[in-house]
Amino acid sequence: MTKEEDTRNEITQLEEALHRTFRRQEAPPDFAEHVFAQVAEQNSLRHAAGDPWWKALSIPVIRWAAITATAASLVIGGIHYRNVPRERARGKAAKQQLMLALRIAGSKLQLAKARVNEINSPQNTNPRKNEEVKD
Amino acid sequence: MAEISLADPPNTGTGFADLVRRHQSMVFSIAQHFLADRPAAEELAQDVFLQLHANLPNLKSEEHVKFWLRKVTAHRCIDYKRRHTLPQVSLEDVAEPGAPARSGDPFVERKLRQMVASLPEKPRMVMILRYQEDLNPDDIAEMLAMPIATVKSHLQRSLAMLREKITRAIGEVTI
Repeated sequence: MTKEEDTRNEITQLEEALHRTFRRQEAPPDFAEHVFAQVAEQNSLRHAAGDPWWKALSIPVIRWAAITATAASLVIGGIHYRNVPRERARGKAAKQQLMLALRIAGSKLQLAKARVNEINSPQNTNPRKNEEVKD
Repeated sequence: MAEISLADPPNTGTGFADLVRRHQSMVFSIAQHFLADRPAAEELAQDVFLQLHANLPNLKSEEHVKFWLRKVTAHRCIDYKRRHTLPQVSLEDVAEPGAPARSGDPFVERKLRQMVASLPEKPRMVMILRYQEDLNPDDIAEMLAMPIATVKSHLQRSLAMLREKITRAIGEVTI
């Protein structure tokens, strides 16, 4: 037997020994029961703590209701958002009209006041004197 | 492969309970061979099955479950070993044989276990998955998320080291 064959043979024997050494071992007899008990305990703790709100989304009706509500909110919000500049422009125009109206009203008021002042001036309060002046 | 019913509650004889009974020795053995600490291996294996229970909806077939269990067990073992500074097994502590070793000799097996236990975490897990689970390097590489070349290199180096040390330790005795 050559040295190479000898080495290969040794490796094969070593690998066989490793397979034997690391063969599977049986789990303790009550292993599965312990696992089930822990799962049951975890489940009861989870139920006691209550499910988080997003768990409700796993129910199809609630999931669809949430999707519909979200979509409706987005549409309404979008429409509102698009209307905002238009409303703002309309408000601005109304403000300008109001300012114009106030300016006109102000100037009319000034005119009226001037006329009233003119009428109430001392020259105009003595009719006889006025007539003299006319003559 | 047809989907299997995994989400059944435990103790019903189907689903999760079946999976635990079918794979408990695989999971426990990987942990036991890696940690060489029976209570720690038992606890770790139980945690792996608890994690399996939480992940059942994501696992679609028996093969997927088996792959998942090996992968999670391997990673948990490595993490456990890194977190816990367990005393390292020294090869010098191994008792000398009282009688010549024969094929299947408990002494040789104990010696091999101790030698594998002295390997760093990843090469050790590679050896356990190779010789306990009979996995090929491709599967081990996928499971441990490492290149195939690294797995092959770990195997070759570990075998060479074991061969040298076991020959030195027990002389020219047939394994």
